Amino acid sequence: MKFDASTNLSGPLPDYLLPCFNAYKHEILKTLHSPSVASSQTESPSINDIAAKQLTDLVDGTVLRAEGNSCLLLGPRGSGKSQMIDACIEKVAFKRPIVLRLSGWVQTTDRHALREIAFQLLQQTGTALLPDTEMHAEAEIDEENPFLEVADHLSGESNLTLPPSHLHALIPILLTLSRPVIVVLDAFDLFALHPRQSLLYCLLDTVQNCRASSENRGIAVVGITSRVDSVQLLEKRVKSRFSGRTIRTAPPGSLQESLAMAKIIMQPSGVCEGDTHKEEWKQWWNEGVQKFLEDNEVATILNETFGLSRDFKIMIRMLTRCVTQLTPNQPNLSLKAVIASAEIQRSRPRRKHLDNLPYPALCLLIASAHADTGGHKSFTFEMLYETYKDQVRALVSAPVQFNGGSIGMMRCPREVLISTFEDLVAVKIFTCTMASPSIIAKQFIKYRCAVDRHDIKGIVEKAGSTNLKKWLNKSQ
Amino acid sequence: MEETTCNFPGYEDFHYELGTLFSTYPPPFIYVRDPETSRTTSIVIDSILRNLSGASSVPTTTKIHYARVDCVSSFTARLIYESIINTLVGWEPTWQDGCGNWSSPQDIRWNDSLDSFIHGLRAAHAHLSQQKASTSTDKTNDGKVRFVIVVERAERLSDSLPELLVPFTRLAELARLDLSVVFLSQVEWEDIKPPLGASPDPYYMDIQSLSKEDIVRNLISNFPALSKISRSNSILQNIYHPSLKSLYAHFITILCDVCYPFTHNLQELQYIAAARWPGFRKPLLDEYKEQQRQMAADVEAARMRLNRLFNSTITTALDALLPRLTNAADWARDNEPPEGVFSLPRGQWQPQQQQQGLTVQQQDENMTNLPRISKFILIASFIASTNPPKSDLRMFGRGVDERKRKRRATKAAGKSKSGGPPKVAQRLVGPTPFVLDRMIAILGALLEDNDVESRLADRQLTIPGEHTDMEIARVGIFSSVMEQTSMRLLHRTTHADRLDGPPMFKCAISYDAATVLAKELKITLNDLLWDPIA
Repeated sequence: MKFDASTNLSGPLPDYLLPCFNAYKHEILKTLHSPSVASSQTESPSINDIAAKQLTDLVDGTVLRAEGNSCLLLGPRGSGKSQMIDACIEKVAFKRPIVLRLSGWVQTTDRHALREIAFQLLQQTGTALLPDTEMHAEAEIDEENPFLEVADHLSGESNLTLPPSHLHALIPILLTLSRPVIVVLDAFDLFALHPRQSLLYCLLDTVQNCRASSENRGIAVVGITSRVDSVQLLEKRVKSRFSGRTIRTAPPGSLQESLAMAKIIMQPSGVCEGDTHKEEWKQWWNEGVQKFLEDNEVATILNETFGLSRDFKIMIRMLTRCVTQLTPNQPNLSLKAVIASAEIQRSRPRRKHLDNLPYPALCLLIASAHADTGGHKSFTFEMLYETYKDQVRALVSAPVQFNGGSIGMMRCPREVLISTFEDLVAVKIFTCTMASPSIIAKQFIKYRCAVDRHDIKGIVEKAGSTNLKKWLNKSQ
Repeated sequence: MEETTCNFPGYEDFHYELGTLFSTYPPPFIYVRDPETSRTTSIVIDSILRNLSGASSVPTTTKIHYARVDCVSSFTARLIYESIINTLVGWEPTWQDGCGNWSSPQDIRWNDSLDSFIHGLRAAHAHLSQQKASTSTDKTNDGKVRFVIVVERAERLSDSLPELLVPFTRLAELARLDLSVVFLSQVEWEDIKPPLGASPDPYYMDIQSLSKEDIVRNLISNFPALSKISRSNSILQNIYHPSLKSLYAHFITILCDVCYPFTHNLQELQYIAAARWPGFRKPLLDEYKEQQRQMAADVEAARMRLNRLFNSTITTALDALLPRLTNAADWARDNEPPEGVFSLPRGQWQPQQQQQGLTVQQQDENMTNLPRISKFILIASFIASTNPPKSDLRMFGRGVDERKRKRRATKAAGKSKSGGPPKVAQRLVGPTPFVLDRMIAILGALLEDNDVESRLADRQLTIPGEHTDMEIARVGIFSSVMEQTSMRLLHRTTHADRLDGPPMFKCAISYDAATVLAKELKITLNDLLWDPIA
């Protein structure tokens, strides 16, 4: 029996293709997890190819020819900066360079950074280069004495109170090591915000000194940032020591390019070798992907995504979701899945998650819409409750009967409304507008509604209660 | 690819998606948003991870270790670090060895800063990889270890430890490990996202709110677990006896019919069910005890009667238990149906309604024991907090001619003169602070109007109002004000040690409480309010 792609596109998968299906899914998810950014197949070299070459030259220069280099790797988020430097370091791994990785998010002060450098050096060279690591060891010897416990706990902090002179002592040591050093500074712009930029100054100064002497092994300082004006952040004395080399990376520049990348990711090669049904599956799957990507509506969605943001990671996330949703019963990519993925991973309309609110929450939302119409952007719980009470009273007193029952609204006690109100505050549908509501009773704290009127209308429409709809319409 | 069955109706898609991701290549940062049932979601995530990490049948070569950390209980950075790493390596601090943390082979201190935490993670990873490589007999196993860190209530992280938010979202790249961080939160990522694009965008996952059918199935599926709690085999001892299962299913259906519009939270519904179920089954068991026979005789009729009897009590349970005015055990005891409720004529047994408005009632009870003057002070301060100061002369002013008080004409709320929005009644916006002297003046007016007759005549104080003046100048008034401040019936808004300026206070009793007090003192409160309740 031949599994016919054209007729059987929507049916469940026959059992004998299951291993292929699983292997493909696995492989695609693997590629999506760490996509290769530089793998475009256009004739002219892309920006990232050029950048990769420049960076490789620079790192090679340091590792092989003992140069002192500094550069800035600049590019928007998700354009492959970190990946590129990792690849370069990987290429020169045979020379065993010492790689010091710092991140501006973690090492928020120069002293933290210093300590981290010391730690990484210790790990990679096996010798302590700084006196503070010895102090650390001493502190731990005293552990038997319970009265010194407090001091012991603080020993981590005491490292931070080292005189700044140590900074100057540590960084030049980097030149005296027997192996080349590569310093990678992630979030470079944050290091530039440290007071007096002493770490950057020391590092870049060392890089400059490296040129003069001949017996050192080379040092490279690579800053990674997405902030365009990072160089302008540097002080004059720091900037003059920086080589000024900026290597730029970019995400896929055109829709065709990103579609081509998506196609490469979705059509892995060299998977499930040795399976007898491999060819059949491959043909079927590739046809499916082809059809999927050429579908007009899918193309529109991908085009929109590309138009909204050049960040390729959004596309990656959308594809990841589509692929994880594949099951043996539904083994092909569908338009429905991609629409849902676009909504969840890309645009995230706020209303979507509020479709199924309980009745008291709906009442409070409508009451807040009324407060808004009344000119009160912010409201207290008491105001909403009053509005709700009025509405209930109005409907109860109306002598109208419909189908033998009164048209009154469902009664909801005040305590239930309060707890619902607190739930809404917890999910930040109602956001507090006051600075410090410490001594104000909780029913008088002012809130603002984060959902706009249009969305409230949609939610109430969806809930389908005539009473609530009418009540909401009264506010217009 | 992991194919475990999902025991949580309504969570099948989520279960499949997350399970697939964890067992293949999870994105480094996943954000799960669940506005309504986050506790259930955390249980689901836990069960996914437990299956994946425990099962040796998983055809992946990667061993998953996971840690869940709740940002409410782990409120400092150190607690978070310790709970993550101790759970990942399966270390339990014991009292005997001084509750020490897990110590890595290199013996590094990993709980004092973020740097060291990352080193600790690496050490833990290395340790576990080594352990795996040494224990596995299979040579194809290359000792890969994957960490999954689930951060529950992540919105708290951005409030209490904002400096950790960015590093946690970037933990995989910082630690350079096979690691995935899952944030579980009630709020949108947009609401807690750090500025300037400091965090990478997460892989979003949303939990759709459960449908009614799913909730019913979920609650019913809990029954076997509940019936295992009691070891007794007797139907009279075990509240959740297995033979009651079909009745329980019926009970849950009618419970959800009543309660679903009000809350979609599984835990809340389960709580209400736990409170009502013992009473619901009692009439049947009574009958069973009397007649010592199986109850299967007329199941449908019995169910109809139960429905009729208990439908309204479920609403009562909801009203009392959803805002936690009382607890389930107490409520169940108070609302237990009497013996032989089936034989009572229709409508004879009504559930008690006394739980309503418990908080207001408690406050009232506190206040009925107050001295009479304190009650006057409370009313006066309520008026002072509610009325605008400018209106005092018109409300309480006494001219020589004792002319009638002019009240603001109560007109329908429309646009104010200046074109701005109409003013909201002060009692809805909340009390305003008032100066102590103003309150005492109002107190004087109140006493003059409502208290003069009850006083003993004093020959020395003959001028009209002189006696009241004496009353309000007593030291007792001030001490009473201070006492009520300590009881939190009044709030002092100025500092106690401030010397310049008069002390300011704010009334802390509700309108309802003030009405009760006024009725007791025979004051018509509504006449004294600037914008009265229509």
